[in-house]
Amino acid sequence: MAPGQKLYPRATVRKIVKAHSKCNVSKNVDVMVFLDYVLFMQSLMKEAAIDSKQAGERGVSAKSIKKVTADTLAKFKG
Amino acid sequence: MASNADRALPSTPGAAAAKTPNRRARSADPNSARQSASARRGGATPHGRAAFAALQKRRTALFTPGKERRRSIRDQRETPRDPLRALSRLLAPSSQAIHSSSSPSDSGANNSSLPVVAEEDESHNFDDDSDDFMIERPRLSLNLREDDDDEYSELKPPRLSGLEDYTAQSIELPRRAISELPPGRPSLGSVGRESDYHDPPEESTFAMPAVESSPAREPMFLEDSEPMVGMEDGMDMDMGDENENENEPFGLMDSDNDSPGPDHRPEDTMLSLITDQRAQSPQNARKKPGKKISKHGIEYKSLPQGVVKRLATTFAKTAGMGKAKISPDTLDAIMQATDWFMEQLGDDLQAYAKHAGRKTIDESDMITLMRSIGVQATSNKLVHYTIRLGTTASAA
Repeated sequence: MAPGQKLYPRATVRKIVKAHSKCNVSKNVDVMVFLDYVLFMQSLMKEAAIDSKQAGERGVSAKSIKKVTADTLAKFKG
Repeated sequence: MASNADRALPSTPGAAAAKTPNRRARSADPNSARQSASARRGGATPHGRAAFAALQKRRTALFTPGKERRRSIRDQRETPRDPLRALSRLLAPSSQAIHSSSSPSDSGANNSSLPVVAEEDESHNFDDDSDDFMIERPRLSLNLREDDDDEYSELKPPRLSGLEDYTAQSIELPRRAISELPPGRPSLGSVGRESDYHDPPEESTFAMPAVESSPAREPMFLEDSEPMVGMEDGMDMDMGDENENENEPFGLMDSDNDSPGPDHRPEDTMLSLITDQRAQSPQNARKKPGKKISKHGIEYKSLPQGVVKRLATTFAKTAGMGKAKISPDTLDAIMQATDWFMEQLGDDLQAYAKHAGRKTIDESDMITLMRSIGVQATSNKLVHYTIRLGTTASAA
């Protein structure tokens, strides 16, 4: 990781959560939101990789991502 | 019937041994055991009775596959009947013979519907007399004929459906009578009829608001449709004015509405107009990443593509896809998933915070959310990693 690179877009995450929830966001929530998002991405990519492997594709295709998105979202529903 | 034969077993030790002599006795001297049965059956001559007994035997052999199943235990275990039978054996001694007081015909009826009750009946009969037991079994087969009566009773529902048709007609008749009353009472079913009574221009005016109305008008439409049927021209003018006024705020739509005229618009229904309107901002957002509007009307940017792409490549690698690159299509799909995820997350967090009576999303909400999701111990490393990320980011 390049030293100047942002580790994660803190302000953006805050704004996104604020926009969707219409609530204020306290201090460390954005980190945990980003953590949750990272976990979500991990799960999503894992499922998509499995799906695209089953379909015999080389990389992860958009189709497999779309296929597993709903399930993964449901998994991360509170 | 197979179940009956099998369920009689616990009360008779040595089942097959007990069954065979009975059957032999039946075929050997039919006179003693089968008097009443022959009286019912109408098999007058001994030959007829013997023939009937042979037929009966064949039939029981046909309808009791449990006899063969008994021999090979493996087959028995494979079928779901086995636990059912075990259950019946468990229930048989404990359950009270409620229906034992009922008449034999009732017991026959119960045999067809309720196997447990049938078992009770049969065990009861078996206790009474072995000859009665022998007589009972032909009666069980007689139920096949009694089932005809059941079939006749089952023919009644079609008659009920015929009655329903009749009621449907009876509903339709008043509907005509209402429509022939003085106009001005619109109903959804009679719109076509109403149009016969009124001027043809009204149909066009009925279509016009639908054509030119803006998405904001959409919820109003159903309410407007009622007066519109019996409407006068002044109403039409009002409607037109409203539409024009409402179109003006949407500056984008004005040029479109004016130039093609009403004939162009009917294909694009109001729904498509709505989708156009709503798609305006997301389309812009897709061109320039950023600027979306949440359902609360707050603008926001989605996560930067670089971050998403970096995460996606990392996790694709760990998921075993090697160093496969993320194609733009895939990235779009992932971004879509990201947006949905953020929306869902925001909703959940809001729900938790509201439930706690706060207006601020707290760490506890996030912890609750992650607990309910069930963040697993395997992702501990990731948690540490991300927390480190956060602390360094906040320190920076």
